[in-house]
Amino acid sequence: MPFLPPNFVSMKRFSTRGLRREIEGLVYVLPYLLLWGTFILWPLGYGFYLSLFDWNPIKGSKFVGFANYVALFKDPRFLNALTNSFKFAAMVVPLVLIVAFLFALILWSWRGSRYLSRFAQAVFFFPYLLTVSVVAITWRWLLDPDFGPITFVFKYLRIPAPTFLSDPFWALPLIALATVWWLSGYRMVVFQAALGDIPQELFEVAVLDGAHINQLLFRVIVPLMKPAILFSLVLTTISGFRTFGQVFMMTEGGPGRATEVLALYLYLNAFEYFRIGRAAAAGVIMLILTLILTLLGVKLLGLKSELY
Amino acid sequence: MKRLIGVLLGLMVVWWFVGFGQDVEIEFDTLFHEADAKAMENIVNLFQSLHPDIVVRLVQGRWEEYYTGLRLAVIAGNPPQLGICHVNRLVEMADYLTPLDASPVGNLLELGGIDPSLFPEATWKAGQLSGHQYLIPLDTHGWGLWYNKDIFAAAGLDPNKPPQTYEEFVAACEAIKKAGYYAFHPAEDALPRKLRRAWEIFYYQMGGELFDANFTHATFNNEKGLKALEFLVNIFNAYGWNVVGGNGYNQFTAGKLGMLFAGNWFYPTVKQSGVNFGYAPVPNLFGIPYTWGASHQLCIPLQPAGTPLEAYLAAMKLAKFITENAYLWTLTGGHIAANSKALEDPRLLESDYWKESGHILNDMIQKGLVRFPINHPRGSELEKAIETNIQLAVVGQISPAEALARAEAECNRILQGG
Repeated sequence: MPFLPPNFVSMKRFSTRGLRREIEGLVYVLPYLLLWGTFILWPLGYGFYLSLFDWNPIKGSKFVGFANYVALFKDPRFLNALTNSFKFAAMVVPLVLIVAFLFALILWSWRGSRYLSRFAQAVFFFPYLLTVSVVAITWRWLLDPDFGPITFVFKYLRIPAPTFLSDPFWALPLIALATVWWLSGYRMVVFQAALGDIPQELFEVAVLDGAHINQLLFRVIVPLMKPAILFSLVLTTISGFRTFGQVFMMTEGGPGRATEVLALYLYLNAFEYFRIGRAAAAGVIMLILTLILTLLGVKLLGLKSELY
Repeated sequence: MKRLIGVLLGLMVVWWFVGFGQDVEIEFDTLFHEADAKAMENIVNLFQSLHPDIVVRLVQGRWEEYYTGLRLAVIAGNPPQLGICHVNRLVEMADYLTPLDASPVGNLLELGGIDPSLFPEATWKAGQLSGHQYLIPLDTHGWGLWYNKDIFAAAGLDPNKPPQTYEEFVAACEAIKKAGYYAFHPAEDALPRKLRRAWEIFYYQMGGELFDANFTHATFNNEKGLKALEFLVNIFNAYGWNVVGGNGYNQFTAGKLGMLFAGNWFYPTVKQSGVNFGYAPVPNLFGIPYTWGASHQLCIPLQPAGTPLEAYLAAMKLAKFITENAYLWTLTGGHIAANSKALEDPRLLESDYWKESGHILNDMIQKGLVRFPINHPRGSELEKAIETNIQLAVVGQISPAEALARAEAECNRILQGG
C-alpha cells in the first residue's frame, strides 16, 4: 500500500459520512430546488428551446436552429435596442450606485440626529415604494411640454424648454434619471446596513493615524462595503438591462426608436407581433449579456471570493 | 340511515343532472377598458338577467396583450367562447378563429339567427376571409373634429360653423393662434400611432394608398405621402399651431386648444371637463374627406375538438344579443353600433351623445368616409415601421422625405419576410 496515505481508512469513513451529510443537505434544499427548477430552470430551458423554432403551434412549429439569432443580428431594430440597453445601463448603474452611496453616507453622518436621519431616510426611500406605472406617470407629468412643472420653471426663467421626452437626445437620459430616482432608495438601505457593520474602532484608529476624509472613504469604507456594492451592482445591472415599464409608459420606445430597449423589443415581438421564437432568442441574448456584465463588474471590483 | 344516505345521494345525482345539465357556462374575453368595459359589462349583465341558463364569465381590460392572450388560449386549448377582434386584425388572427359559416357544428350564423342585412355591407364584408365569415360587426369607431366654441368666439370665428375646407381650416387655425391659443392638434395625445393616423387621414384624403393590393411593396413614398407628412410636421413646427410633444387631450380639456382630431371615445372626457365643445366631421383638406376609423367585431375563437353545440349556441346567442342591444354600447362607449336596429333605438337617438356628436360620426360612416387600418398578417409591424419614422420627422430629427424613405425601406423588408 505504498501509494495510499497513512490515514486512508479514516478518510474513507469521513467521505461516507460526508456523502451522507451532503445527501441530508440536499434533502433540506430539495423543496427550494424543486421550486427553482420549476420556475427558473425550466422556463430558461424552454425559452432557449423556443428560440430554436419558428413557433406556431396552430400551423406547426418549424425547427430553425439558430436562424432566429442570425435574424436578430441582421435586424437594425434589434441592434438599435441593444445599443439603447447598453446606453441605459451605462447611465443607470453607476448613477444609482453613486446616488445611493451618497444618500447612505449622508444618513450615516446624521446618525446622531435621530429624527432628521429618520425623516431623510423616509424621503430617500419613498420612491422605491412606488410602482413602475406611478413612477412613469409622475415623470411624464413633470416633463409634460404643456403643463409640466419642469417646463414651467424653464418658461419662468425665459429659457426655451427642451421637448424632453419628444427629443431623441433627452428621452433616454430622462428615463434613466427617473429610474435613478426610483431605485436609489433601496440600494441606499443596503449601503446603510453595510456602513453600520463597519466597526467604529476602525474609524477611530484611522483618524488617530491621521487619515483624512478621502483616505477614510477609499481605504476604509469602500473596501469594507464591497459585498454590499457587489450585491447592488448585480441587482442594478439586472434591473438596468431588463428595464421595460418606465420606457413603455413614458415613451413607448420613441421618439422614433430612440428609447426602444431590449426588453421592449422583446415584448413587441412576443406580444404584438407574436414572433415568439425571435422574442425568445432576444431573451436568451439578454440573459447572456446580463450575466457577462455582472461577472465583469465582479472582476472589476475584485470580488470573486464574494460569489462563493 | 343507509336509506337516508341513499336518498340524499340520489337527490344529489338528480340535482347534478338537472342543475348542471341546464346551465351553459361561457367565457367572453374583450380588450375593452374604462367606459367601453363598463358599457360591455352593462350589456352582459342585461343578457344574464334575461338568460339565467347561460352563465357568462366576462374578462376585460387587457388591451396590449389581448391578441397574444387570445392566441395562447387557443393554443392551450382553453379559449373563451366569445371574443372581440378588430376588423384589421382578421388576417393576422384568422388561424385562431372559428369560421362562423363553417364551424365544426354547422353554420353558426344560421343557427344563431344572425341577419347580415342588418349591418352595413362594407363592415359585414370586412369580417370575411377566404370565402368565410369570421366576424360579426359590433361597431365602427373613428376620429372627428372636436372644437372649442369659446375659443372660436374669442378668435372671431363662428362657433356654429366649424371649418370644412382647407382654406377655412387654415384661416381658423391662424385666427386661433393669433388669439393666443393652441390652434390645432391632429393626433389626440401625440403617441406615435396617433401621429400615423393623422398622416394617414391627410394621405388618404389625397387618394393615396399605403401598399399595393397584394401587399408586395409600400406605395406611400410619393408626392402625396410627402405633402401629407409635410403638412403634419408643419402643424407642430413651421405653422406653430401646436408644440412638439403636446398632448391634445390635455390641451383641449384645459381649454387651451381650438381644434382637435380625436376619437368618439373622447366624448365622456370632454363632457366632464366642462369645455364648451362642438363636434364636426373631419374637414375636407385634400380632396376626399376621409377620416381614420376601425371596427370592433365579435368572434368565436377556435374551440378545442369536442366542444358541445350548446357552447357555440350560447356564444352566438350572446353575440346576437350584444349587437341587437348595441345602443347601450354607443350610449356609454361612444362607438357607433353596427346593427341598424340598435341605431334606431329612441333611447340612443334622444341622448345627448347622439345629438352632440354621435350622429355626425354615423353620417361619416354611412357615407363610407371612415378608412379602416391595413389588414395584413404583419400589419402591426408595418404600422410600427411607419409611425416611428413619422414621429422622427415630427420631432425634427429627420426630414419628411427621409422619414418616408426609411419607412418604405423598412416596410418592404418586412413584406419580404425580414
